[in-house]
Amino acid sequence: MIQIKNLHKYYGTKDSKTEVLKGISLEINDGDFVAILGASGSGKSTLLNVISGLEPADAGTVCYNGQNICGMSDGEITLFRKKTIGYVFQQYFLLPNLNVEKNVKMGADLVKNKDYRSLIEAVGLAGKMKKYPHELSGGEQQRVSVARALAKRPKVLYLDEPTGALDEATGRLVLDLICSLKKELAFTMVMVTHNQNIAEMADTVISMNSGKIVTQYQNEHPKSAYQIAW
Amino acid sequence: MIVNFKDIYKMIGMFIVSFCAVLVSTMFLNYYLDLITVENLITTEVSQIFYEAQCSTSKVVSTVSGGCLLLTTVVLLCFDIRHYVDTRQKQLGVLKALGYTRLTIAGNFRMFGLPVFAGTALGYAFAHLLMPKLYELQNKDGYLPEVPITFHPKLCMALVLLPTIFFSILAILYSYIKLKVPALQLMREQSAYKIVPAKKDTDLPFLQELQRSNVRQKKSLIFFITFAVFCFSAMTQMSFSMDELASRMMSIMVMAIGLVLAVVTLFIATTSVIKANRKTITMMKVFGYSAKECQKAVLSGYRPWAYLGFALGTVYQYTLLKIAVTIIFKDMEGVPDYQFDLPVMLIALAVFLILYEMLMFSYTKKIEQLSVKEIMLD
Repeated sequence: MIQIKNLHKYYGTKDSKTEVLKGISLEINDGDFVAILGASGSGKSTLLNVISGLEPADAGTVCYNGQNICGMSDGEITLFRKKTIGYVFQQYFLLPNLNVEKNVKMGADLVKNKDYRSLIEAVGLAGKMKKYPHELSGGEQQRVSVARALAKRPKVLYLDEPTGALDEATGRLVLDLICSLKKELAFTMVMVTHNQNIAEMADTVISMNSGKIVTQYQNEHPKSAYQIAW
Repeated sequence: MIVNFKDIYKMIGMFIVSFCAVLVSTMFLNYYLDLITVENLITTEVSQIFYEAQCSTSKVVSTVSGGCLLLTTVVLLCFDIRHYVDTRQKQLGVLKALGYTRLTIAGNFRMFGLPVFAGTALGYAFAHLLMPKLYELQNKDGYLPEVPITFHPKLCMALVLLPTIFFSILAILYSYIKLKVPALQLMREQSAYKIVPAKKDTDLPFLQELQRSNVRQKKSLIFFITFAVFCFSAMTQMSFSMDELASRMMSIMVMAIGLVLAVVTLFIATTSVIKANRKTITMMKVFGYSAKECQKAVLSGYRPWAYLGFALGTVYQYTLLKIAVTIIFKDMEGVPDYQFDLPVMLIALAVFLILYEMLMFSYTKKIEQLSVKEIMLD
């Protein structure tokens, strides 16, 4: 379980500080699919970065099964990310000088996962293992990024606008793939999106505005990637 | 202005190397030009042999070290321009798209001649400050008549003005070639990723794969790192022998040049590797790789080349000194036979290992401080 209590985050200098997160508190259950919804500048990406240990919080706590990650040293937080977290970013951030197989190996080697090729097959890129990122389409690159994140067998997968750079058909394909892998591998998933329709796929939807949670609700019947409007 | 003073300030490497090049070349060329004016005053055979040896030494020192350093400056300049274009592709692409011609943009790169001018001018001035001491030491045994110090304007022209003009033109030409890419490609930052695929498919661990790939992508750095350690190895070992064969001043000068060249080149090479791999390092950190693992993956691939540089430097300095003693100074009395100095080689190797590991350690610390978010937003 992830417990977030009274989380604060500021940006800027001493003279002109902007409070980006204003005392966020929430709980995420194991195996849950949480969508963080909000407009640009609402603080949703900052929240994702802070709870995943990419950025330090200025106040408050983020506990993973009782272990507070705020205040951990750089070495400790690195180890925490290694053991617990997987990331998928809007811009993919694949290593340009390594082919698909080696990019996925980046995640796999951290947990000595020898079965990473099956993940490449699962994301439908079995025939493109030796291709380099620049030889792939945006959707294919994002699928590599998903396989890379899952190859390290994370307990929690964080996704920051994973379909933000994709067209509708490819976006649906990627989301469907992520959801089916979630069912199979049973990890917790937290996704940031500005798209209300995509949020309908989640178990829990959290809406943010100006650094605060404005609404939080459970989805009785989460939709599939092909049921939502785009 | 595309290239501004802030960018020039970062080219400290070119400044230092051109400073050293002109310092050495001015001292020994000036000495040579003054020395040949006293040739008619030499009366004894010993003095004649000593005179010829001094002439040869001056020519060799100024040509070899000056030439070596000039070559390094050329490589550094090309490296800096390439790095500049690669890191500012978007900005340059927008300018091209707006209609600025390639020549107009490249013309701004003439500013790259400034660090060369600053380095050569300062080197030239410093050389004149050190000259009295050099003249005194070169003739401390009194074999030659007194050599007067004369100011040679042609040296100022050849060692300060011409290199500045040469490097400014070279900068314009090189950037002109580098900018021969469509505007859209520059804006999409595609020319920085010319991937060199592996020739053979291997199944190595990720860190080793990345290490090999990094070396493959940045082959120019192999030259830099090998050259840096070569200079360190050759110059430090040579300086000990110089103490015995020539003079203390030559020894200190050779050692100083070796150290400066090695440190500057290694610093530039490793910094550029880290900068070029910022996103890779960030992603590795995000995934949970430690700073030490990142450093290993990015920099360790160059370690064998560094050792090769050390070995080549050792062989080079031995061969050069052996040739100098057996050919140039063969008729001189009192010049000891030159033998390979194993203890000196071992000391130089130990110092090199300590320096190299310290540099790697400092880069591990630098990697630890890289901000994940800052790079994501880049």
